[in-house]
Order: sequence, then C-alpha cells, then structure tokens
Amino acid sequence: MTPNQLQWARVAKDAFTAALFAYIAGMLAYWAFLAFAKTWMGKVATAVTAFGAAGGLTAIVARGIADARIPWGNMYEFSMALSFLVVVAYLLLVERQLGSKTLGGFVLMFAVFTLAMGASFFYVGPGALLPSLNSYWRQIHVTAMITASSLLGVGCIITIAFLFKDRSERRQLRRLSSQVPPPIMGGSVDTGVLPGAPAGDASPHDLVADGDGAVAERALARGRFPSAAALDKMAYRMISFGFPVWTFGVICGAIWAQQAWGRYWGWDPKETWSFITWTIFAGYLHARATAGWKGSRAAVVALVGFVSLFVTYYAVNLWIAGLHSYAK
Amino acid sequence: MSVAPSRLTLRRSAAFAWRSLRSMRTALILLLLLALASVVGSLIPQEMNSPERVAQFMIDHPVVGLFYKKAEFFNVFGSWWFTLITTLLFVSLFACLIPRTRAAIRSARQKPIQAREIDAFPLYREVHVGAEPTMVLAASRRVLSRKAFRTAAGETQVAAEKGIAREIGSLLFHWAFVILLLGVAVGKGTGYVGHATIIEGQTWVDARPNYNGQVRTGRFFTENFSGIGIHLQSFTDSYRSTGIPMDFLSKVQLLDPQGRVLQTADIRVNHPAHFQGMDIFQYGFGWAPEVQIRQSGRMVAGGPVAMGQQLPPDGVPQLALPWNGTEKLLNQTPNIGVSLEFWPDGDAYFQSQVTGQPVQMPILHKPVLRFTTYQGRIFDPATNTLLDTSGLQQLQSTIMFPGQTVDLRTGDVLTPDPKTGKIDYGTRLTITFPGVRQYSVLQVSRDRGVSIVLFAAILIVLGLLPALYTARRKVWVRVQPAGTGSLVQIGGFALQRKAQFEDEFARLVTALTRAGGGEVPGKEAANP
Repeated sequence: MTPNQLQWARVAKDAFTAALFAYIAGMLAYWAFLAFAKTWMGKVATAVTAFGAAGGLTAIVARGIADARIPWGNMYEFSMALSFLVVVAYLLLVERQLGSKTLGGFVLMFAVFTLAMGASFFYVGPGALLPSLNSYWRQIHVTAMITASSLLGVGCIITIAFLFKDRSERRQLRRLSSQVPPPIMGGSVDTGVLPGAPAGDASPHDLVADGDGAVAERALARGRFPSAAALDKMAYRMISFGFPVWTFGVICGAIWAQQAWGRYWGWDPKETWSFITWTIFAGYLHARATAGWKGSRAAVVALVGFVSLFVTYYAVNLWIAGLHSYAK
Repeated sequence: MSVAPSRLTLRRSAAFAWRSLRSMRTALILLLLLALASVVGSLIPQEMNSPERVAQFMIDHPVVGLFYKKAEFFNVFGSWWFTLITTLLFVSLFACLIPRTRAAIRSARQKPIQAREIDAFPLYREVHVGAEPTMVLAASRRVLSRKAFRTAAGETQVAAEKGIAREIGSLLFHWAFVILLLGVAVGKGTGYVGHATIIEGQTWVDARPNYNGQVRTGRFFTENFSGIGIHLQSFTDSYRSTGIPMDFLSKVQLLDPQGRVLQTADIRVNHPAHFQGMDIFQYGFGWAPEVQIRQSGRMVAGGPVAMGQQLPPDGVPQLALPWNGTEKLLNQTPNIGVSLEFWPDGDAYFQSQVTGQPVQMPILHKPVLRFTTYQGRIFDPATNTLLDTSGLQQLQSTIMFPGQTVDLRTGDVLTPDPKTGKIDYGTRLTITFPGVRQYSVLQVSRDRGVSIVLFAAILIVLGLLPALYTARRKVWVRVQPAGTGSLVQIGGFALQRKAQFEDEFARLVTALTRAGGGEVPGKEAANP
C-alpha cells in the first residue's frame, strides 16, 4: 500500500467512528423527541443524523481509495454501506416523503447495530480481493443486495412499530366502543386516532384514514406515532420497493456464480438464506393480497422475514461455513 | 344422480384437492414450508457442499447422524420431501395460473363495460360544459385514449380502463417460475459436471473414466460425453506479498473430438472458456513433481505425481502445508510403498523444521522432495494422497533435490561418475527427481438449461415491476343534454394505489372539462 493509501485508510477509520457516534447521538435525540415532543429536538436529531450519514459516505469513499477498488468486498465494508443506505432510506423516504420523525430512533438503532457489528466482528484492513471476487457482477450483486437489505430492514422496523400501534389502536377502539353512548359515533375523540366509522368487527386500520389527514398531521407534529394504517402502508411501500431489488440482486449473484463457480445455484448457505428471505417476503406480498391475512398477520410474516434477513446477512458469515465465508 | 357413490366421492375429493391446491393460502403455506425445509438444509452440513463435514458429523453424533441420514437431512435439496413440497407448490402455481391467464386474456379482449350508476363510484364529479353531448362524448373518448385508457363508447357513455399491465406482469412473473423449473430440469437432467485434473503438458479427453469418479451426471444423461480434448500448456498461480492469491491462470488448447486443435484459451477464475457446448472453469490446482523409479537402472514406474494437500490446522495457512502423494511398487516382493512429501520452497521447509513455525510457500524456490519408504503387503493398488502405512515397515526417510537420484531402500544419494556423467545403478532400486510441474483442476460441465434459466430470471424481474407498481383503474364518463350544453358525470375507482388515483382523477376531470368546451359558469354542479 502506498503512503497515500495508508492516509486514506486512516481517514476512513476516523469517518467511520464519527458516523457511529453521530448515529448514536441521533438515535438518542430522536428518542428525546419522541419522549418530550419538542420540535427543536426533532431538528437536532435530523441534523446530527445527516452529519452521521455524511461521515458514513466519507468513510466509504476513503475506504474505496485506500482499497483502490469499489469498497464492497467484505462484511466490514458491507456494514458501512448498509448502515449508510438505511439512514439515507430513512431520511429520504420516511422523514421527507412521509414527514414522520417518530421512527428515527428505531431506524438508527439498526444502523448503529450494523456499524458496531462491523467494527467489532468483521474488521479487516483495506486491501485487494480474492480472484473470485474480481468481477463486475460483484459490484452489481452487492449493490443490489445492500440496497434491498436497507429497504427491507427499514420496512421491517416500521412493521414492528405497526404491530405495537395496531395493538394500542385496537385496545382504544374496544374501550371506546364499550362506553355508552359510543363517543366515537359523535365525532372527534382526541386520541390522535380518528373521527371515524362505527366500531364493527373490521380491523381498526381499515377504519383509519391514510394518515395524511389533518388529525394525523397534528399528531405527527406533536411527536406521536403515525396511525397503524399509515405505518402499514409505509412498511408495504418499503418492502414492495426492496423485494424486486432483492430479486434482482439474487439473480445477479446467480449469474456471477455461474461465471465464477460454474453453477448458477448450489445451495451454499448464503444462497440458501437469500432464497429463504426471498420466499418469506414473497409470502408477505402474497399475504397482503389474501383475505384474512392482511394487517397484523402479514406483519408477522414480515417480522419473520426480518429475522431471516439478519441470518442471511450475519449468521451465515459468523457461524455457517460456506463459499461466502470469505466475505468475512 | 345415477353415478355410483364411490366414484362420486372420488371425484368430489379430487375436486376438493384441486380447489384447495388452487387457493392462495395453500400456496402461501407451501412457500413457507419450502423456506423451512431450506433452513434445515443450511444448518445441517450437506453431502453436496461439504462431504467431509457430514462424515465428521456422523462420527461425532452417530445416533442423530443415522436419523438424519434416514430422513435425508444431509441431502435436503435432493430429498423426496423437498421434491414433494416443490412439486406441490408448482402444481398449486399451475392450478392458479391457468384460470388466471384465461381470465386475463378474456378481460384483455373484452371491451370496458358500461356502468349503470356512475355516481355510486368512490370518486365522482359532475360538470356542466358548453359543447353539445355528441361532441363531448367523442372528445371524452379522445382524452381517455390519449392517456392510454382502453375505451368503449355507448350511446351516452364512455367506459374506460387502464392498468392491465399489473395482471400481465404478475402472470409473467409467475409463469417465469414454470419456465425456470423447466430450464433447471432440462439443464441438470441431461447435463453433467465433473472435475478434470490435467498436468502441464498433458492432454485430457472428456470421457467418463478420465474423471476418476469426479463427475455427477443428470437423471436423463445418456453417457454422451463431449469427447473434446483439453491440452494444458501451462498453469500459473500468483500471490501478493501477504499471501493472498492474485490470479490462477490455465493456458489451454481446446481440441475437437477428432483431436484437432481448434482454439486456445486463457481460463482463470471468473473467466471460463466455452467450447462446443461445454463450459470449462478454473477450479483448483496443485503441484506434480516428476518421479522416476528404476530397478537396476531400468525404469519401472514414473511420471508426474499429482499431489494433494491436507486441510490445515487452525491458524495455519494452506500455503504453508506440503503436498502429498504416493508411489506403490506392487511387483516388488515384499511390496514397496513410497510416501512423498513435496515442499515447493526449500528455504521455507528448513526454516519451519528449525522453528516449528509454518512458512507460506507461494512460489517455487529450491523445491524439496521428502520421501519415506515402507515395505510390506499393500492391498490397495489405487494412488492416494496419503499412504496407509498400517502393517508396513518403515525403511528410511530422506529429502532430495531436483536432479538427484537416491536409493529407495537405503536413502543413499547416487552421484554420477565425474567423467562420463552416468550413474552406476547396480542392482539398486532407485528414485530420481528430475523436476516439477503443476497441474490444474478444471470444472467441465454441460448445462443446456442455463439460457432458459436466464430467460426466466429476466422475465421474473420484468414481470415483477408492473405487478407491484402499476394499478388497475376504471373511469366512466356519461354525457346528457343540459340546456344548450351538456351535463358530464365522471366516476371512477382504482383497485390499487388509491391515493395516487385521486390526483390522477382530478387531472382527468380537468382535461375532460376542457375537452368539453370548458365549464359553464352559473350552473350549480353537485360535487361531493
């Protein structure tokens, strides 16, 4: 390695550390916002997180220069890219598009976990790759897989939030409908839930508006969670965005495997788990389209998918031997 | 009914089974079962990927291992139950797809249906416009057609719909899996994959015996090996200073079944060669020291010995291990077995002997061949990497360098006569080490299904996008005379992405109003 590359390697490490601490600070700030509902806290959280994302990007670029290649060659580098994309997906898609800051703490928890895992279990210094990794399919495959992982990951975090919110809405609905006369019929009940339809046997998120109504907006401004329906929709969007990317990534991996190993599919543990994850999210999308599986049941499927995503990403490399284990 | 009751029951239960298979719930459960089965396959070592770990498991857990073996847990992806789940899933998929495809074709052919009550749709607007009804009707149809709606005009109404791409995409996506299965079945069923070990300077011909058992053939394979030849001109492995491999390169000539050289190729990792329907990949490599064994100066055995390596202990790099091979002289009484140990780097050999620390040997540098001679009764004539020394008596153990000749039984080095340069062999049994070559292991395979599988994969992605991101939506426009102008009623709904359709609907209303000559002021329009 040239002295110049060594310098860049140092920059990469410092930027990595800066990103990690910024994410931790951002996570705490988002939780403070959730607890005290002060607007300035939300602003601080976003600013700190954006700073962390800039640090993450710096780390990735510097690492790439130190490596003299695209820095997607091992788990440490994947962790940098994944946490960066998770944060960017959250900032752009959740916070900007949907205007909700309440989920920031949970998403950042995921990003912090990813970075910390990368630093403590997977650290390797910059350097060249094994010949089998020298393929432009590596870049396409890894880019697709990491992008998909970040989208599916964020989608699943929203799903967890949905499950909690859904339960609390159901409880609220039950309490309201047991009161005489049902105040819900009269008009607005200040729960942040909704002025709505009668409480029948339909699940509550069918009754709730899309979360872009005035009530929901006010709730968001006060640091409340979006409605279960809005969360459900957000999660669905993330997952239905991530799923084709995942599919594409797996296919690129198969094409690369055909070129490098002479077979497009060999049930190597990483391949197997990427298939399992694909299957579960395919199940989720089908479940959403099936009567009786909508809502919390589909959410549970997504949750199982989240676990599978983790296994695909970490466990295969940490505990299960296979062809992808050199990705350590 | 006059049908026999038993027949009826049979038919009924068959119909019931078919109906259950067709339901989305069954497909979902089968899909998740498939995932579950794969989990088992990833947690338990598989015969296909790591036979040595399976063998270890059988030693460590004999009882559980036996159960696993019986349940085909070591071969999950080829087991009867995995095949059963897959088959059921595909039958279910098929059963689902046929009626859906028929319905899709029908609805694609069918003209959009006229609505009876337009104001009952989730989105509804009424507008008074200046133009007369027939003109408004024609203009509305034009507007909708321009926005890629399929339209059907009635006397007072235009029915329009859009977004059939969603269903077509979804069907494409699902049919692609049927094609994928077909490609896998054809490719793996009629194809084969094997590993050819070729020493530098040698030519290997694609035929079953030349694989030494290292070949897997498909179920419908008819022994039609290609017969092509591969001549290995040279093999090169190169490493960085850290011992990380940089490149593995086999320079080959490719021969047709008649033995004519048709082309040359550089085969390296990620850069396979394709020749006469065969795919040839760089798979492995190793050292093949040349050995000549003479009895009283007459050659009795010899040639390059393709050597293998043991798995390294924890913390020892593979590159630091020596290479092992054997020579067996079964026409000697008692039999002679020679265990050969090759060190590509002599300095590394001596250094590791002194310090006990492993030293990596990335390049050939003053190589050393160490051999140990045994005598006794040898039962296994096959050439192995390691000699089974049970029941054998060790005679001696010596190291030698390229060009040397050594007495096999005593280890004495034979020096050539300084005048003639010739060696006096006497009646000795000798071993000569003229030099070293390398060998390359190439994976040779034929899979005629790859292009079908690739085609299916492309269809999967192409189908998925419209299936997830487009929406079916329907719009109706009814026009009635009202004063000098017309009353336009516009209704519509979307089956998916309803929020987006609300904006689209609003834009449609604006466009339709403009096309109808603009809204007539003063008249009250009933807009909810």
